[in-house]
Amino acid sequence: MSETNDPRIQSEQPEQLESSRTMLDVSGLTKIYPDGTLAVDDIDFAVDAGDFCVIIGPSGCGKSTTLHSLVGNLDVTAGTVSLDGVEITDQPTHDRDIGLVFQDFQLFPHLSVTENIEYGLKQLGVDDQERRRRTERLLEMMQLEGLADRDPEELSAGQKQRVALARSLVLEPKLLLLDEPLGDMDYKLQKRMERELLRVHREFDTTFVYVTHDQTQAMRLADQIIVMNDGQVEQSGSVAEIYNSPNTAFVSAFVGDSNTVTGTLDQEHPDGSVTIATELGSFKALPDNLHSSVSELLGSEMSFSVRPQHMTLSDEYANTLECRVKDVIWNPGSSTQVLLEVRAENAEKEISLKSWELADVPEGDVQVSWKPEHTILLERTSVVGGVDLQKDILGS
Amino acid sequence: MSAQPAISISSLSKKFADELVLDRIDLSVTDGEFCVVIGPSGCGKSTLLKCIAGIADPDTGEIHLRGRNTESVPSRDRDVGLVFQEFEETLFPHKTVAENIGFGLRQQSDAPPEEQIEDRIDEMLDLLAISHTKSSYPDELSGGQQQRVELARHLVRDCDITLFDDPLADLDYKLQKRMEIEMRRLHNELESTFLYVTHNQDQALKLADRLIVMNDGVIEQVGTPEEVYTNPANAFVGRFVGDSNLLVGDVVRTTDSEIVVETPVGELAVSDTGERPAEGSEGAVLVRPEDIVIGDGAAHCRNNVGVVLEGKTYTGEVTEYSVSVPGYDNDLQVVKPGRPDDVDNSNETEIGFDASAAQFFEEMSVTGDMKVSDLLKAEQ
Repeated sequence: MSETNDPRIQSEQPEQLESSRTMLDVSGLTKIYPDGTLAVDDIDFAVDAGDFCVIIGPSGCGKSTTLHSLVGNLDVTAGTVSLDGVEITDQPTHDRDIGLVFQDFQLFPHLSVTENIEYGLKQLGVDDQERRRRTERLLEMMQLEGLADRDPEELSAGQKQRVALARSLVLEPKLLLLDEPLGDMDYKLQKRMERELLRVHREFDTTFVYVTHDQTQAMRLADQIIVMNDGQVEQSGSVAEIYNSPNTAFVSAFVGDSNTVTGTLDQEHPDGSVTIATELGSFKALPDNLHSSVSELLGSEMSFSVRPQHMTLSDEYANTLECRVKDVIWNPGSSTQVLLEVRAENAEKEISLKSWELADVPEGDVQVSWKPEHTILLERTSVVGGVDLQKDILGS
Repeated sequence: MSAQPAISISSLSKKFADELVLDRIDLSVTDGEFCVVIGPSGCGKSTLLKCIAGIADPDTGEIHLRGRNTESVPSRDRDVGLVFQEFEETLFPHKTVAENIGFGLRQQSDAPPEEQIEDRIDEMLDLLAISHTKSSYPDELSGGQQQRVELARHLVRDCDITLFDDPLADLDYKLQKRMEIEMRRLHNELESTFLYVTHNQDQALKLADRLIVMNDGVIEQVGTPEEVYTNPANAFVGRFVGDSNLLVGDVVRTTDSEIVVETPVGELAVSDTGERPAEGSEGAVLVRPEDIVIGDGAAHCRNNVGVVLEGKTYTGEVTEYSVSVPGYDNDLQVVKPGRPDDVDNSNETEIGFDASAAQFFEEMSVTGDMKVSDLLKAEQ
C-alpha cells in the first residue's frame, strides 16, 4: 500500500475537507520552565473553527501550561501557535484575538453588569453607538437584560458566568479560552452551567478551548477532546473516537469507565478476528483499533479494555467469564452497576458491568459475556515512555 | 439488629446569629444503616452532623445515640467517629502508615493493650487493601492510598456510629468512583452506622440505604434512593435529586385517571396518583430526561410535543439531547443510552412521554411558603 492511500494519513490533512477551517494550529509547542521542568513536550494539535475543544488530563499533564501559551502570558521554549492562519507565537497577549474566562470569573466588583461587559470595548476605543449596540445585544443573548445595572456581588454564580462570558464574547474574539470555569461549583449548578455553555457556544459560533481535569464534563461539552499526559498528547479526536477507539491504554482508562486486561496476542483467524490470551482465559477481538498489522504483533504483549455497558449478564456472546457478584449499585435514572469478581484459578480480577435494563441481579455465580467487537485492543500503554499499565494507570 | 435506633433526633433547632439553620428536625437512623444527607449549600446538613458529633450545640431539641441522651456528653465520650473533607496533609509525615493508624487508639485514655492495637491496625490495613504500605511514610503514598490511611485512622476506633462530611469531595473523578465502591464495601463489612453528608447527589444515590433530603433547615423527604427518585414528595425534591424537566402550569381538568395541565409547551396529561388538585390550581409538571422518547416512537406516547433539536452530546455511555419548544425559553433535556441516532441538528422532531412518566406537584416544598417562581428563581 502506498502511503498516500492510507486513509489515516489523509484524514490528518484538514485542508482537504471543505467544511472545516482550522482556527487554532499548534505545532511543536514546548515549554521548559526555568527550573528545568519539561511541562509541554513538542506537542501538535489543531482545532477547527467553531468547535468546542476540551483539553483534559491529570494534574501536572501540561494542560494549563498549554492554555497559558495560547493566551500569551508565558514565553514558549519552542514551537508555534497560529490563529486563523496567522502566527501569533510572539504576539503580546492584548494583540491576540483571544478571550479568556477564568474559574472565578474575575468580574470588576465596582462596575455594574453593563459596565463590565462594555469595559473591553471602551479600552479598544469603540465608538459609543457601536459599543451600546454590541453591549445590548450581549445582554439580550445572555438573558441579562433585567440585571444590567446590578453589581457583581448581587448576582448568582450562574449569572456571574453569563456576565463573564458576555464580557469576553462582546469583543468577538476568534478564540475563547476557558480555564476550568466550573471547577468550584456544586453538582447541580455545574450541570446547569454546562448546558448554558453549550447553548452559548451554539449561538455564537465561536471556537472554544476549555481546560479541565473533569473527564465527565469534557465528554458532555466537547466536539473535540485532547487528552494530555506528562506533557504530551495521548490522543486528539471526537468524543466517539476517544471513547470507542482509544489510542492508548492511558486514554481508555482516563476517559470513561473501562475494564482492562493484559495478555498476549496469539492468533489471527481467517475471518480477520484475533484471539488474545490472558490469565483469565482467551478472548476474541477485532483488530480495528490496532495501528500495526496483526502479523507484526502476534506473540507480543497487549492489553484490551471493555466498557462496562458492553458486558452482559448472559452467555450469549463469544467472550465469556465466570464471575461472582460482589455488589450491585442501583442508580435511579441511570444504569445499574454490577461489581463482579472473576472466578479464575490463578488470578484476581474485579470487573464492572453496567446496564439500563436489569430488573434484578442474581446473587452468587453468574456468567458474563461480550461481543468481539467490544474488545478494544490497546497496542500501546501510553505515548509517554516507561509508563507501567498496572502501576501508573490502573493502580490506586 | 437492635430495635433501638442508632441515632434518634427530636425537634432539634439551631440558630446562627439570627438565622435558623436547623428548624425542629426529627430523624431516626436505624442501627447499621448507611444514611446519606443531601441538600443545597446552606441547607443545614453539616450543622446537623456537627450537633450529632457534639462539636456544635443545638439550641433546643434532643439527640439520643443508641438510646443515650447526649445533652451533657462531651464530644470525645460520644463514641462517634467523624471524618471530614479536609483529608490531605492531616497524616503525620514522620510516622509510618501503621503508626498513623494506631495513633488515635494509643492516645485514648482507655487505650486497648498494645497487642490488640497491632491486630486492629492489621485488620484495617487488610480491609482497605493497603497492607503493603504498612511501613511506608505518607509522602511515599499515592493520593488514593493516603485517603485510605486517613479512613483507616478513623475507622480503627471501631465506633458504633461514624459521621462523614463530604469526605470524597476533593478527590479527582477516578479516585472518587473507586472510593465510593470502597465506602459501600467498608460499610457492609464493619456493620456500623454511617451518616454521610454530601452535596453530590450522584454519589448519594449510589451510597445510601436511605436518603435524607434537606432544604432550608428542614427535612423535605426521607426514603430509599429509589423512592426519593421515583416518588419525590414535592417539586423541590424532584428537582434536587436527579435531572429533570420542570414545566409550570395550571390544572385545566381532571379525569378518573389523569390530571391535565396547561403548560407553555401545551396541555400535558399526568397520571393521577393521589390527591386530586382543583381545576385552576397552579403547580409544576416534572418529567425525567430518560423517560422521554425522542423521534420515532414519540407519537405513540400520551403526550407529544413538537420540538427543534438544539444539540446532542454523546458522552460514551449515553446521549443527551437538548431540544427547544417554539415560544418557550427553556430547553428540555432528553437522555438515551448509547450512541446518537441520525437525528440531525436543528431538525424539527417530536418528543413524547406517557402520563405515568410525569408527576404533578401543587406543593413545592415542605417549607410551605415556596412557590413555583421561588423554586425556579433559586435555580438561576
